[in-house]
Amino acid sequence: MWSCKLSTGTVYAADKEPRTEHRVLVLVAFEIDALCACKILQYLFQCDHVLYTIVPVTGKQDLERAFVEHSEGVQVCLLMKEDDLENIPEFRDVFLEDESDEDDLDNDSDDPETGQKKRRFDEAALIKRMEKRKWEENRKKILFEYTEFSGYGLSSSLLLYDMAWKMSKDTNDLLWLAIIGVTEQYINQHVERDKYMESIAELQPHVSRLNHRPDDEESSISIDCLKVMFDNELRLTMYRHWSLFESLCHSEYTTCKFKIWTMKGRKRLHEFLADMGLPLVQCKQKFTSMDVSYKESVKDLFKKFQDKYSINEQDLFLPSFHAQYGYKNRYCATDVIYASEAVLQDVEKEYSDSDNFLHTLDLLNRSKTECMEKGIEMAKIQLSALVKQVQSFLDANLVISAGPFLYAFVQEGTPDVKFFAKPINLARLARFTLEAYCCVSRNKKVKTLPFVLGAHHNSDMGTMLVIGIPPVLDKSLKNCFGKAFEQAAATTNSRTLHDFFDSHIIELKSEDRSKFFDALISLLQ
Amino acid sequence: MSLIRHSLYVGVVEKPPPPPLTEEQYGEMEPKYPEGGHYLSVLRPHGDDCVRQVFEEMRALFEQNQQDVEKALDGAQAEMFPGIRMRHAALERNKRCVLAYVYNRLQKIAQMRWEFGSVLPADIKYNLAEQEVQWFIKYTKCLATYMRSVRAEGGLDLTQDLKPPKSLYIEVRCLMDHGEFETQDGGVILLKKNSQHFLLRSECEHLIRQGVLEHSVH
Repeated sequence: MWSCKLSTGTVYAADKEPRTEHRVLVLVAFEIDALCACKILQYLFQCDHVLYTIVPVTGKQDLERAFVEHSEGVQVCLLMKEDDLENIPEFRDVFLEDESDEDDLDNDSDDPETGQKKRRFDEAALIKRMEKRKWEENRKKILFEYTEFSGYGLSSSLLLYDMAWKMSKDTNDLLWLAIIGVTEQYINQHVERDKYMESIAELQPHVSRLNHRPDDEESSISIDCLKVMFDNELRLTMYRHWSLFESLCHSEYTTCKFKIWTMKGRKRLHEFLADMGLPLVQCKQKFTSMDVSYKESVKDLFKKFQDKYSINEQDLFLPSFHAQYGYKNRYCATDVIYASEAVLQDVEKEYSDSDNFLHTLDLLNRSKTECMEKGIEMAKIQLSALVKQVQSFLDANLVISAGPFLYAFVQEGTPDVKFFAKPINLARLARFTLEAYCCVSRNKKVKTLPFVLGAHHNSDMGTMLVIGIPPVLDKSLKNCFGKAFEQAAATTNSRTLHDFFDSHIIELKSEDRSKFFDALISLLQ
Repeated sequence: MSLIRHSLYVGVVEKPPPPPLTEEQYGEMEPKYPEGGHYLSVLRPHGDDCVRQVFEEMRALFEQNQQDVEKALDGAQAEMFPGIRMRHAALERNKRCVLAYVYNRLQKIAQMRWEFGSVLPADIKYNLAEQEVQWFIKYTKCLATYMRSVRAEGGLDLTQDLKPPKSLYIEVRCLMDHGEFETQDGGVILLKKNSQHFLLRSECEHLIRQGVLEHSVH
């Protein structure tokens, strides 16, 4: 949604002197990047005393409803969402609507003029009509090409941070939010690595600028202040708050690399740890309680032995940032993302979606450390469920090739099915499963196949969530399923709901599953 | 606040008053002011029953004393006097306690005028005695008259900003569906559960007190 880009610019462009009588309505999607952007915006608005209303929206219908409800007396509306389509067709190709033409036509046909003039007009009109028909065909083609693939653009929190910086209102806290937003895009594979590195390179000068302190006593600051530091992080999920062993068993890359779900894979992991000289006892206890000498050398050891185990450095290490405040709180950007996504996707029945939204906003508040700790624990539970699910997919050979794509279903009655009824978790499960399947499968071709995953969603409605993701080898991360789902549903009259902002996730009536998939197969062949 | 401890005179009077109070009943008669509790639990129903019992006790004590005094005057029985004095002291004590109870309640009610404004929530009003309601109305009138007289043009609302505010605007979260809310400049805001708003502090202060909004602190 490029409206975000346009409108955020305009609030401040139009209101050089922020006028308080304007109330801004901010609609925020359920994505961490959007939440971070929303928090940055909140800060900016508060600085300038701009009145605002923030409403979380889960999907397109919700967006429409919220807009109708809250739009009274609102001058500016902002939509916080991270995805952004590239190669936006030119305005005149899509919206050009020559109304004067039509008027001319009507007027002239009523005109009781001489035949000659009429004829001449007809010629001109015919040419015009032909042009118009051509233009319309062209428009259809452009629009189809535009919507055929969907992808993600620049992180909106980075965009807003940039704006804050240009207004000289940037702080370390805002910078940290921007970092989280950027990292979330990469973790959820919304952008490729090059783009992520570009953003990181853009953020790094800001980090050094805002965290630069001379060493003398005078300029030392309180330990409670936020300090952000650049680091080449290990891509092990939340290892600082877990044990090294558990983290190795729950990180996408290491699990797939060692094929941890097989006996042989487990042995290999043990061998790896033994090679590095890390005792199992140390690895299995909390990372914080590990022997200091081991703790400090973990990164070097991984680096030293990565070649022997043919581990790709790019996959194991991620240039990222971590934040430190107080004595105890040290989080790297990915920790925050896992924790906040777990809270955002909380399956507790007593909390509604918007409750989860507020809890996540609280979590991103640095002052509420207990929220963060709770979030980390929840993330561990959800991640364990996810790994178990991947294992059961592989053990029971539930990933099936349909020809043009692979597919799998999380059946109703699976113990942790409730976790996968949420789009972010489902997407993560899909990526993890595909990655794991590609590692196990002997067939080389699977790496070029996209993957469709369905999960039971709502038993009252009898619906399931279906997500499609691009193949492992496709690094451009362009997703063709949005349009494909739409067409498959249209040709078979399946009852689907394209409500999510991500077009490659839909809700489908479970009964219509087989005919929908038949159509999808024939469509993608 | 402790109210009544009658155990002193029991045993001294020859005939104890008809309804002997048990320990549990004493407990019931004490109005409780839990610290840091919700405002609803602060003001309990006016203890009509409790106060009436105290009055009955006082009447019994008084009658007993009356009889004894007459006897003492007639027969000049000197051994009656300590008993009479004892009962008199108990009477005085009961009086003090009842007055303190009434006074404390009034203080609380006055405080509520500052917190809730001139209209009390229904559940609190229900707990007030008729006289207390009357007193509240008078107090409100007094305060209103004073506030009108403070400044020449239209007076000054003293109940606002009891603590000095840090900013003109605050961020609030909606805790329940409240419906539409009209702001001072005529704009309309829909207060829907879990939406967040940046509003004038003075406008939403009373909504925060009512529990519709919650001030979110960063």
